Amino acid sequence: MGYMKIFNVALGLTLMVTGVGASCVFASDPPPEGETGSVAVRLFLTEGAVPADDPNAAVWNTIEPAEFKLAPQVHWPDRIQEVTVKSVKVRGVHNGEDMAILLEYADPSEDAADAAAVEFMVGDKMAHFAHGQEMLQVEGGDVNIWYWKKEHGKATDMTAKGFKTIRPQENQNVSATGAWQDGTWRVVFSRPLQTGDDLDVQVTPGEWRNVAFAFWDGEIVDGDVKEKGSQKAVSSWWYLRAEPPPDNSIYGYVVLGIVLAAGFEFFLVRKIRRGNES
Amino acid sequence: MKGPLAKTAILLVGMYVFLKFILPLFTAPLPASLIFLYLALTFASAMIFYTMSGGSLDEFMGPVGRFLTGSGQVGIAGTARILVFVLFPLLVGWQTYTRLAPSDMPPAENRTIHPAPPGEFVGLANPYPRTPENIMMGKGLYAAFCSPCHGANFDGKGPAAVGFNPPPANFSDPGTIAQLQESYLFWRIKKGGVGLPVEAMPWKSAMPRWEVELPDEWIWKIIMGEYDGAGQSPRTWEEEE
Ligand code: HEC
Repeated sequence: MGYMKIFNVALGLTLMVTGVGASCVFASDPPPEGETGSVAVRLFLTEGAVPADDPNAAVWNTIEPAEFKLAPQVHWPDRIQEVTVKSVKVRGVHNGEDMAILLEYADPSEDAADAAAVEFMVGDKMAHFAHGQEMLQVEGGDVNIWYWKKEHGKATDMTAKGFKTIRPQENQNVSATGAWQDGTWRVVFSRPLQTGDDLDVQVTPGEWRNVAFAFWDGEIVDGDVKEKGSQKAVSSWWYLRAEPPPDNSIYGYVVLGIVLAAGFEFFLVRKIRRGNES
Repeated sequence: MKGPLAKTAILLVGMYVFLKFILPLFTAPLPASLIFLYLALTFASAMIFYTMSGGSLDEFMGPVGRFLTGSGQVGIAGTARILVFVLFPLLVGWQTYTRLAPSDMPPAENRTIHPAPPGEFVGLANPYPRTPENIMMGKGLYAAFCSPCHGANFDGKGPAAVGFNPPPANFSDPGTIAQLQESYLFWRIKKGGVGLPVEAMPWKSAMPRWEVELPDEWIWKIIMGEYDGAGQSPRTWEEEE
């Protein structure tokens, strides 16, 4: 064999080893660590209108919920040591234009002051889950809070950056509807994915957003509302993503890869054979 | 199996086992891409070494050429050759797919649990003596302010702990406060989660910024009570050297 041929064999072999080696090595990487329980809400892509104001729409029952544990708010004053809502099931859909998010949670009584909220980080800056409170070494951003209260019968679209800074926005783009039955609240929030308002979270299919939840049990105990203001059930930050439309071009690239690899084999063998003959 | 190529193959397998399984016993596991790079380098070195020390490349690669062209092959060798030819394109296809397929997993999070403290908190000593009264007072304050998250038993399992990610630290675990100096705890308790640097993801931490609620004296005494209650002792400067 001349040098050219030897070089070809070497190249072929290296590529082959690369393919096989890479497959083995990469395939044996451990999967990313997941906490117990859900870490993300998936907004499933549907066709047609999203169930924007129907907590009992049939489509909700076809969706696997994410479930997040909640804690009594003991992070800053005024604290509360015991809360009614211990966990929340979250489902979501979108149709490329609008999204709807359903929160389902147990609360034994239906009260005028019952309330629920969804919080998002806005833009590129990270924000602390407790109302975007000031961080000391990191410059934080705003949070966008969607707040629903039974007696209001609607959602309020709000902004906060730190405690006591929470305020309703000028542009209200969120709607919400709640339905209570047999000790369970089902509250659906909806909004266009994109609003063009810098104070709002913008949801782009395929991209991850940070989301958190809060709940208040508005039951009257001894003449006072049981949970209000900072006395509530809270979650940490979790992830949310609107499912991207399926991308079939991937399969094109897979076929291309297979064809190229097969062609490479064919020419490699032919080359070596010719080399051996001469 | 005496050819130079076979020897190289054995060397590669040995190298892989070492990098993948033996080395992690002593240090952090290597990323797959690095393992692969080392194997590729090993292969290249073997090839160069063999040709430099008088062997011909022809001899080194000969078995491969014969295998690929299928000259004089019958039985198992022939079948293996066909198998390789079919599997290689499929592997390439599969690799392409796994690279391009959209991931359903949220971004990986590598939170640094014990980042470096700001300079002004390095080397501070607890100004209060370890008397039974001070420890007692610290434990009382701990029960009032810290136990809802960190647990009455110092195990991170307080009634509020379950909703938080990252979870409240478990002080009875030798991996937390036993690794730290009192000055480090003083920083963490005073400034809380929001005092962490970016690599520790301050936006996720539920640890309160206690300086807005508790005087320094209480914090130092809580630290005493915390170590005592958890059955740990702080890391000292001597151990640090
Ligand atoms: C609202 C829940 C909560 C309360 C109340 C709370 N902590 Fe924490 N603490 C956390 C969480 C969550 C972490 C882990 C995240 C972090 O390091 O910031 C933590 C971390 C710590 C750490 C760091 C441990 C390490 O290994 O780095 C110390 C020390 C600590 N807490 C002490 C206290 C003390 C003392 C109190 C009471 C004065 C207290 N915490 C009250 C939630 C809490």
